[in-house]
Amino acid sequence: MTPALPMATGRILPRSAEAEKRKTSYVGMVFALGSWTMLFAALFFSYAVLRLRAEAWPPEGAAPLPRLLPAVNTFVLLLSSFLLARGVRPEAAWAHGALKRALWGTLGLGTLFLVLQLAVWMPLWNAGFTIRSGTYGSIFYGLTVFHALHALAGLIALACLLPGTHAGRFNSGRQPAVRVTAMFWHFVDIVWLLMFIAVYLI
Amino acid sequence: MSDSTTVVVENGLAHVGPGFHEEQHIHPDPTNFIRHWIFSLDHKVIAKQFLWLGLAFLAWGGTMAMMIRWQIANPGRPFPVLGALFFPHAGGVMPPQAYSSFFTMHGTIMIFWAITPILIGCFGNLLIPLQIGARDMAFPTLNMMSFWTMFLATGVLVASFFVPMGAAAGGWQSYPTLSTNIGQPGPGQTMWVVAIFLAGSGTIMGAVNYITTVIRLRAPGMGYFDMPLAVWGIWLTAILNALFVPVLAAGMLLLFLDRTFGTHFFIAGQSVTKGGGDPVLYQHLFWIFGHPEVYILILPAWGIVSDLLSFFSRKPAFGYRATALSMTIISLLSMAVYGHHMFVVGMSPLLSQSFMTLTMLISIPSAVFFLNWLGTMYRGSIRFASPMLFSVGVVFVFGLGGLTGLHLGAIGTDIYLHDSYFVVGHFHLTMAASVLLGAFAAIYFWFPKMFGKMMDETLGKWHFWLTIVPLTVVFCGMLIVGYGGMQRRLYNYHDYQYLQHLHPVNVWVTRAALVLGASQFLFVYNFLKSLISGKKAGANPWEVGTLEWTVPSPPPHHNFDKIPVVVNGPHEFSNPRVKGKDWVAQNEPIGDLAPASSTLGAAGK
Repeated sequence: MTPALPMATGRILPRSAEAEKRKTSYVGMVFALGSWTMLFAALFFSYAVLRLRAEAWPPEGAAPLPRLLPAVNTFVLLLSSFLLARGVRPEAAWAHGALKRALWGTLGLGTLFLVLQLAVWMPLWNAGFTIRSGTYGSIFYGLTVFHALHALAGLIALACLLPGTHAGRFNSGRQPAVRVTAMFWHFVDIVWLLMFIAVYLI
Repeated sequence: MSDSTTVVVENGLAHVGPGFHEEQHIHPDPTNFIRHWIFSLDHKVIAKQFLWLGLAFLAWGGTMAMMIRWQIANPGRPFPVLGALFFPHAGGVMPPQAYSSFFTMHGTIMIFWAITPILIGCFGNLLIPLQIGARDMAFPTLNMMSFWTMFLATGVLVASFFVPMGAAAGGWQSYPTLSTNIGQPGPGQTMWVVAIFLAGSGTIMGAVNYITTVIRLRAPGMGYFDMPLAVWGIWLTAILNALFVPVLAAGMLLLFLDRTFGTHFFIAGQSVTKGGGDPVLYQHLFWIFGHPEVYILILPAWGIVSDLLSFFSRKPAFGYRATALSMTIISLLSMAVYGHHMFVVGMSPLLSQSFMTLTMLISIPSAVFFLNWLGTMYRGSIRFASPMLFSVGVVFVFGLGGLTGLHLGAIGTDIYLHDSYFVVGHFHLTMAASVLLGAFAAIYFWFPKMFGKMMDETLGKWHFWLTIVPLTVVFCGMLIVGYGGMQRRLYNYHDYQYLQHLHPVNVWVTRAALVLGASQFLFVYNFLKSLISGKKAGANPWEVGTLEWTVPSPPPHHNFDKIPVVVNGPHEFSNPRVKGKDWVAQNEPIGDLAPASSTLGAAGK
């Protein structure tokens, strides 16, 4: 009879070391992304304050921003998230090479995104709309370039998974490294979707 | 792994048998010097690294405070010794630009380089794994990176003192336009921004680690309401850090862009065609972070003091759950009160009054845990050891600071007191004096666990009395001159006729401050002497029951040979069923409930 010991109440169940580590890394990443969310939320807040206090937005004489190319780019990024999500499903462990294909596909689409971002920035910059062009330019370049740096960091992190994937150590999101990197990539994509709506559409 | 498990009771202490927490397997202690002492993954070593960093900057920030006070009381008189060293061209007298720089860097250093490393970096790291029964943090590598990111930030901060035009001088809040290229043309301010951004990154890494560790690595049987209150305080601090330091980082990023790339986020007055930036936007970003920040600084001290008062009163903490919950409620409320720092910027009165109401609500949970502190001591068998003296000091000083906060939370009085020395006195009492005394309490208390030696009690008591008395004079004096209308940050208040009658108070504040500064040498001496030749500490010199005192001092590399099973709360004192001693370890089954050894089903039979 040992009623005082917590084991007896069934609160503690044994789990494998792998399952414990998987869950710990997941909890850590959720809080890390919560932190990153606040970073971008603060940037969006700054955008909102400046825009609401401006007399006109976009300011008079500012060239209209392109919409077609950024829309295509949004599609590219969402497609990359979709590919990656399929590649890290637990079922991918049984489909030979599924994670490998998903990683290469995501890396390709992610790189295409950055190239298209340059294609959006360059003509605007050359036409005289730069980061020094008042708050409008500050917001536009500040937000999109800062996001692009996160996309680049995400691509580097995804590329770091390639050797392990080719060597067969990684085959799905069951491996914590794969799972948290994918979470970060989805985060970058969601931020972009909101940024596309906030900066280009409304 | 099996579906049933063993709880083993050895020498009266319960721990898990095989099959539990095998992910926390024991790593051997690295013998290599660099891996053991410098790039260490061990939370106890990282805690000590943070402690050394914090103490060094506490000394530096304190010295700056002495020089600031000297200038206020004796304008135009050279500061002894150091003055000639720092200001040779001015004959040892602090010039106005240096004065601005000194109060800016004093605030920055004390908040981000002294309190944060000592309370959060050191004691967060030391206490979380040891008090929840874990072998290390959830992410040891991230923990190491957190310290070295902070170290990098320290390099940038120190270097900023040596660039042309000197270190940042726009106040610790660095409001634009004081902090833009117009107010601060030198590189010092840009380096300040970079240093804060890096320090913030290190803090966030630590915060994510602390939160995850508390959620995931608590020993079997330790529910959230079985954790010591110190862990509660540090955990809530970590949550606030993870959520609000990024907002500061965003402000730093935009300020950096304004200074370096010519953007206009905070620069007003652009033509209509370009749209104008908004200096007040920075104030929003700063205080959205800044108000949670003051709780970030004080919560670990609250938690530590709540525990120590119970430990040294030999009584369970009065209203343990109420204390934990009121700290939680304060953390939640702290997210929605930042506007009370900005009553004078011209906010809408509706918004101001909402912020005032929310601010006043904080007094309710504050009063709850404050009364719980008094309730804990009431009719206890109090042992007045140095950690207890410093804890009672926190209760006293925080009481003063909390009450003066009401004047600043209410719009009517705040508009008069805004930017005066009353504000300086108030926030020093709450987040400087209380936190400093809390840090000393923690150092005196856990020094034996960290270093395996006892600190000198007599010197500790002298240090306490020579700290608390001048400290009260200093900050209450500031309240008085502030109420008398003296603005903060004045280089030479003798320029103003209407402030002349405050001169005697200012002189006494400075005298007390110099005594306060000098008495800290007692601490330095005690610390170093005890480190070298202190009396050897046993595993449990204070006779308390939290898990860190069930292992040797200092603990082995992996903390616990076997992961403990928690069966008691953290303050199980004077339990009548326990014979022969007045404390029980958290993993010590009491009386006839203690089996010699048992095998239990996991499904809950």
